[in-house]
Amino acid sequence: MEAIWLYQFRLIVIGDSTVGKSCLIRRFTEGRFAQVSDPTVGVDFFSRLVEIEPGKRIKLQIWDTAGQERFRSITRAYYRNSVGGLLLFDITNRRSFQNVHEWLEEAKAHVQPYQIVFVLVGHKCDLDTQRQVTRHEADKLATAYGMRYIETSARDAINVEKAFTDLTRDIYELVRKGEINIQEGWEGVKSGFVPNVVHSSEEVIKSDRRCLC
Amino acid sequence: MSGENENTMDNTSPQESPDGAEPTGLDSVEKVPVVSEPVAVTRKRPESKSNSVSMEEEEEKAPEKKDPEPSEPKSPSGWGSWGNWGKSLISTASATVATVGHGISTAIEKAESTLGVPSPVELSFRSNVEPTEDANASDSPAVPGGESSSPMAGALGFLSSISTAVQSTGKTVLTGGLDALEFIGKKTMDVIAEGDPGFKKTKGLMNRNSTLSQVLREAKEREEQRVGSAAETQTHGKAHYGLLFDEHQGLAHLEALELLSKESEAKVKSILSAQPGEKVVELKTELEPLKETFSLEEFDDDDEVEKGDEDFSQEIASLFASLQITVRPDKLTRARKAAYIWMTEVEAKGMEENAEEPETETSGKKKKATVEEIHDLAIHSLAELTACSMELFHKSATLILHGETQVPAVSRGKALSQMTITLCKELSLLSKKVTTLLTTTGALEKSDVLNPLITGVFLEASNSASYIQDAFQLLLPVLEISHIQSQT
Repeated sequence: MEAIWLYQFRLIVIGDSTVGKSCLIRRFTEGRFAQVSDPTVGVDFFSRLVEIEPGKRIKLQIWDTAGQERFRSITRAYYRNSVGGLLLFDITNRRSFQNVHEWLEEAKAHVQPYQIVFVLVGHKCDLDTQRQVTRHEADKLATAYGMRYIETSARDAINVEKAFTDLTRDIYELVRKGEINIQEGWEGVKSGFVPNVVHSSEEVIKSDRRCLC
Repeated sequence: MSGENENTMDNTSPQESPDGAEPTGLDSVEKVPVVSEPVAVTRKRPESKSNSVSMEEEEEKAPEKKDPEPSEPKSPSGWGSWGNWGKSLISTASATVATVGHGISTAIEKAESTLGVPSPVELSFRSNVEPTEDANASDSPAVPGGESSSPMAGALGFLSSISTAVQSTGKTVLTGGLDALEFIGKKTMDVIAEGDPGFKKTKGLMNRNSTLSQVLREAKEREEQRVGSAAETQTHGKAHYGLLFDEHQGLAHLEALELLSKESEAKVKSILSAQPGEKVVELKTELEPLKETFSLEEFDDDDEVEKGDEDFSQEIASLFASLQITVRPDKLTRARKAAYIWMTEVEAKGMEENAEEPETETSGKKKKATVEEIHDLAIHSLAELTACSMELFHKSATLILHGETQVPAVSRGKALSQMTITLCKELSLLSKKVTTLLTTTGALEKSDVLNPLITGVFLEASNSASYIQDAFQLLLPVLEISHIQSQT
């Protein structure tokens, strides 16, 4: 049954305009690459289940934000309710890499009192010949901020799954250890329904059924 | 049974009321009952009882368990109590309450399945017959005495927890009874037009602790739990509106729209409070015509004829053109097209079957869509169309606030109001068409199989229309701030 998942994580995807946020998400959720796409208006939504261990599924609710400056005030409102984030830059666009710092600052300013687990994503890695940002410097930046770094390509489907599942696993670990908690009025992490884990309700249902028989 | 049975809710005659408590006054009802199979008395469905009842409801019902045979269907007071129960539920329902209707529909379904209550058709007659009592009955949600009040209390507990979570305007979308749901759009529009010149309602929605999307989200989560437990015990794969609505990102778009609406409302307030007195009066007079565009006028859907794909797309497209925003309603028109494609297919298959060999059921059932399948497709289409509408309103709000074009807020308000009406009419048409399909396809089905499905479609169509109207109301503060900012 599709509806069964352990947790729901809300992820936000940010980064400069045209770095390929929507394309990455579409590759991940729809399995295809859209050659042409309109710029995102405000925010768009996608979701997908990820199996982090056999039988353990997490539902990802992905908020795809607009990179355009004019929508920035809208995007700001969405940090608060996200538990994870993919911060994208385009490896063929140096400017988008330089703005990574700014994006992180903005996120930090608006996520209070919660926290977001970020992964730094160097996108469009299929265009290696046009590369303007080396792997080494991106790695260094990510380490400085305590993030993972991963290079992806939506067009050639490189590391797309990995980028999302690694982040999901990291968050799951933090939830498991109790470093991230489900909180009332916070949409970042929601608990789902899993019969194998929720023993109490399983027993209730089973005993009920026996009574009826 | 062929298409001559236009009024699908009439397929059961009240005279066939099975529970021995035949309401005699029903003869005065003008509707001509179409004779069909008798309504089965007992609606006990053990499988849904064990699976669809969530934990919390179990708890609520637990104390009543010692009562002898609460589901005794032949109890006359059960009939009477049901009447009151139905009314008090229905009278406290407003357009907004109806938005959690899948809760209500679940409750009704549950009540049907556990109490052996009369069919929805009878219920609708019942509440038509005694409209005068409404005012008194609606004041006290508690069912007066009687041994069968205990299961009601359980159901009521569940329902009142819903209705406290939502605003009650006192006017009702369901007063007319379930048969009136055929005129969903119209009725729902009445509510808005009568009780609410738009603004108050939105304010009410905002000031509540929980927003519409929160209420819906909670309802969806409950549904997920139910589906989860149902999956475990391998029961029917019935369509769940809330889950499907979420799957098409309807909840997310609604939540995002609420966020924009709240921010805009706060901005309007702070701007108004910063202005000198006479300027405030001036601004408020300016905003008056805008508010008026949000009091949806009553519309008549009697003359509605089915639109072709082209007509619908064009109508929506031209409304978007007058908004002057760069959003294309492609998803919506695609979803609508898909709905009409499956309906045409089901219709065509049904025809074939009838033409070939109407007698042999076994061979027929293989190809022909079952009533459950039609119901599921309908719920899916309703959820998808509503989710697409949420997306359109959300995108409209985004671009009104951050777009690059300047259009007078009043003209945008008018276009959006027209869009709301068009969408609601469309949903109403769709539900009518589906229920006709259900009646013709399910001619051989027992009415206790068919009626809950028909009720389900009508209720979800009504809910859909309410979501759309509520989403529309969320656009008012957005247009207000856009107007104020264009002046300065």
